[in-house]
Parts: sequence; structure tokens; C-alpha cells
Amino acid sequence: MRENFKELWRFRELMFAMVERELRIRYKNSSLGFLWSLLNPLVTVAVMWFVFRFLLGNQTDNYSAYILAAYLPFMFFNMSLMDSAQSVIASLPVVKKVYFPREILPLSAVIANFIHLCLALVVFFVFLFAVWATTGFQVAPFTWKIAYLPLLLIPYLALVTGLALLISAYNVFYEDVKYILSVALYLLFFVTPIMYFSETVFYALKNRPNGQLIYTLYHLNPVSMMSTAFRKALVPPGKIEVIDNGVSTMIGPRPFDYGLFAVTVVVSFALLFYGYHTFNRMKWRFVERP
Amino acid sequence: MSKVAISVRDIKKSFALSHSGAASLKTALLWWKKKRIEKLEVLRGVSFEVNHGECVALVGRNGAGKSTLLSLLSNIYKPTSGSIEIDGKIAPLLELGAGFHPDLTGLENILFNGMILGLTRKEVMERTPAIVDFAELHNHIDSPVRTYSSGMQARLGFAIAVHVDADILIVDEVLAVGDYAFEKKCYDYIAEFRAKGGTILFVSHNPDSVRKVADRCIWLAAGEVKMDGTVEAVLTAYQAAGDER
Repeated sequence: MRENFKELWRFRELMFAMVERELRIRYKNSSLGFLWSLLNPLVTVAVMWFVFRFLLGNQTDNYSAYILAAYLPFMFFNMSLMDSAQSVIASLPVVKKVYFPREILPLSAVIANFIHLCLALVVFFVFLFAVWATTGFQVAPFTWKIAYLPLLLIPYLALVTGLALLISAYNVFYEDVKYILSVALYLLFFVTPIMYFSETVFYALKNRPNGQLIYTLYHLNPVSMMSTAFRKALVPPGKIEVIDNGVSTMIGPRPFDYGLFAVTVVVSFALLFYGYHTFNRMKWRFVERP
Repeated sequence: MSKVAISVRDIKKSFALSHSGAASLKTALLWWKKKRIEKLEVLRGVSFEVNHGECVALVGRNGAGKSTLLSLLSNIYKPTSGSIEIDGKIAPLLELGAGFHPDLTGLENILFNGMILGLTRKEVMERTPAIVDFAELHNHIDSPVRTYSSGMQARLGFAIAVHVDADILIVDEVLAVGDYAFEKKCYDYIAEFRAKGGTILFVSHNPDSVRKVADRCIWLAAGEVKMDGTVEAVLTAYQAAGDER
């Protein structure tokens, strides 16, 4: 593993050039460039907000900020895995002709998307300030908890990188992986607190037998836990509308579960090491794919 | 620096052969018990040495293992067994412009390709004017590579490869590109490269170019070295074997 890491370090400039290339290609072929790629999450969130606020009549404060805070990181997860699934197999003609550490391919896909996430978060803060200004300076744009953001991004990046390495390697040999992945990501969106809240889940399960167990299992999904964590860090707490015992109630946010979060951090780094190890084990066989 | 630039000792390489085409989970699940792995032995124990300053041509029929051997030297495959030692900086030219991205401009591709071949960003920047000069693409260098003709792409690929200042060039039948003037430029460059003490190992199906540049010739047949000697001796035997069929 150390040898592989040294080799990767030697080629770090190539990796950054590849990141630059990915971003350039993404933003190049259209005049709106970066704005285009922001339009997708913004329109999606606007539609979700419309459905929740008007069609379902949910009264949660600052709902659009809550969705964005979870949806932007989820899009990073989604796009990184979809891009890296294709990264090695799409570059196979180059891989067959030139040597460079193959892990550069999925890694640069993840880093390019990570940079995109950071830019999107900047726009997210502009949005929060806009909300703050237009609502008569009622809802504070952020709290001191924003200092936690880097501490969340690091394990999240580890999680995504580990999965990206695994998926990109397996997709070379089994091209069904990317189809399974796209279905899995679609379903993951529904079992992750993005459109709704972990509080909603808590109150829905509260009086059920094994409710606590199901709630814990739900948060063992690292993406669920991260989603909740991003909300806690990015959005100032407001009142959330949940259904408690069949009655609609406005509640304050529940306290953050640091124990479950610690599990997510451990799982994320474990996946990073496992993914890197597996990728290095498989990478020499990419060119020999039958 | 020692005398030997490339040392190949008893290299064997076999590939898993598949009859089913593309891999899928379904085939993996269906066939997991009958692991019918057929091995295709492409190289069956190849050994030779190339000294610094030597220019060696590899000849042989299609499927003899020439390209596999060059890929092994370029660190694209790992050998099944045996060892390879390389002394000096190596520039593999297995395909000109491998890694060009069609949507990026010529300049952007120079940067990217130069870095794939092991240069730093700064080094590529310094060499870019010389590369553009060599490729004779001044009017097109800011256009996306997808607008280039295949000859222009090959010229740019060759220009980048020769500017990485390698000690050893590994060339796989790529010189038959471009027009007459550019081909001449390539041969002039190779002569200059050799005059500076550079080492070349190349594959060619063209006896004329082998006679022109090589000073030694290795004949590969069915994954083994069939003959290793002077250009005339090996080419005569190789062509005689071809005529017999």
C-alpha cells in the first residue's frame, strides 16, 4: 500500500491536471457553464419545496434550506459514484497504451465533483443570505456550528472515495455494476433524510415495537447520518412539522447522535482503506479484461 | 550508467481467454462452478538485452507477441513470470495521441499528454513552443483536437513524445503517419536522437525502415525469440520463412 501511495504521489500533478480537465469539459461546451450544473439541484429543490409546502402542506420553517443542505452533498455522492463507475472503463483505450497509476481516474472524478460541491455550497450560502434579507432578517443565515463543516466533509470524502474506487474497479469486469448502481442511488434517495427529516423518522417509529432498533439501523446508513449532520451544521435550527401519533406537531430539532456519527466516521475510513486496497489488487488486470 | 539499457529475462505472459465476449455478473454467476479459464500464452520465455545507444527492430508475424512485449516494457502489463530491468527514462509510443481528449484544444492536450508521459507542468510549459513548431500546427493549436485530421493528431502525438527527453524510445509501428515531409522529419529526429546516444526498440512491418534505422533485429515467432542478429541476416531468414507459406 505504501509503494502504491508513493507512486500516486509522484503522479499528483497529472491527477490535478485531470481534475482540471474534467471541470473544463463540464463547463466548456455551454456559455452558462457552471450555472448550468447548478441549475439542476436548484430546480429540483424548488420542485421539492413546492410539493412539500403547497401540495403536502408541510409547515416546516426554512424548508428549502433544509433540503439543499442535504441534497447538495447527496448530489456529490451520486455524481461522484456515477462518474467514477465509468472512469476506468471509458479510459480503457488510454489505459491500454500509456502507463500511469490507474487510481488517478476514479480519484480525479471524485475530486472534480468535490470541487463542484464546494462551489455549490458557496452558492448555498448566498441563497441563505438572500433568504435572510428577503424575510426581513428573521432567519439567521448560519450559526457557529458551521465550523463543523470541514469535520463533516473529510469523512464524507473518505466514504465517497472508498466506494468510488470499489465501483470503478468492479465496473471494468462486470458492466452491470453501473446499472445496479443507478438503481441503488435512486432508491437511496428515498431512504435518506433529504425530502423529509430524521425527526420525521423518529416520531414515526417512536411508538412502534422495535422502533428504536429500526431508527438505529436507518442511521447506520452512512449517507443518512451524513445528511442529518450536514443539516445540523448548515441550517440554523427552526421548527419542523412532524406527525406524532397521528397528530401534526411543530417540534424543535432533536439532539445530534454523536455515537451513531462516530460509527459512520469509522465505516467511512474503513471503506476508504478497503476500496484502495481492492483497487490496487485489481488494477493490473484492467488491461487484460476478457 | 551501466552498458545495458533494457534487460529482459525469461519473460512469460499469458492471458485469460474468453469465448463469451463481454463480462457480466450473469455469466460470472452462471459459470462460477465451471471455471473454464483457458490460458493464452503470448510470450513463452523471452530473453534479450539492448545496450545503450543501440537501435533494435522487432519483427514477426501478427500475434507473435511483439506488441505485448512492448506493453510489458511500457509498464502496462505485469509479466506472468520473469523480470524486466530498464536503465534510464523511457518514452513509450504505443499509439500516437493516446489520451487526447477531442473537446480540448491542442494546447490543453499538450499539457495533459506531456504530463502522462511523466513531465511536470513546468517542463511541459517550457517545451510547448518547440512542440508546436515540430508538429507544424501553429494555426490550429487553439482549436479542439476533434477538428484535427488524423495526420495532424499523429503529428502532435509524435511531437509531444519526442520532447519528453527520454533515454529510451519504445515505438510500435507509429511512424507510418503523416505525409512524406513529416515522415522525413521523424527519421531526421530519430537520427539525431541516436547521435545523442539514445536507445530505440521498435516494431515494424516495413523492411525498408528496419534497414534504414536499425542496427540489430530480433525475430519473434509464437512468443519466442526465433532469431537475434544483424538486420540483414534476420530479415533474410524472416522473409524466406514468409515466402515459404
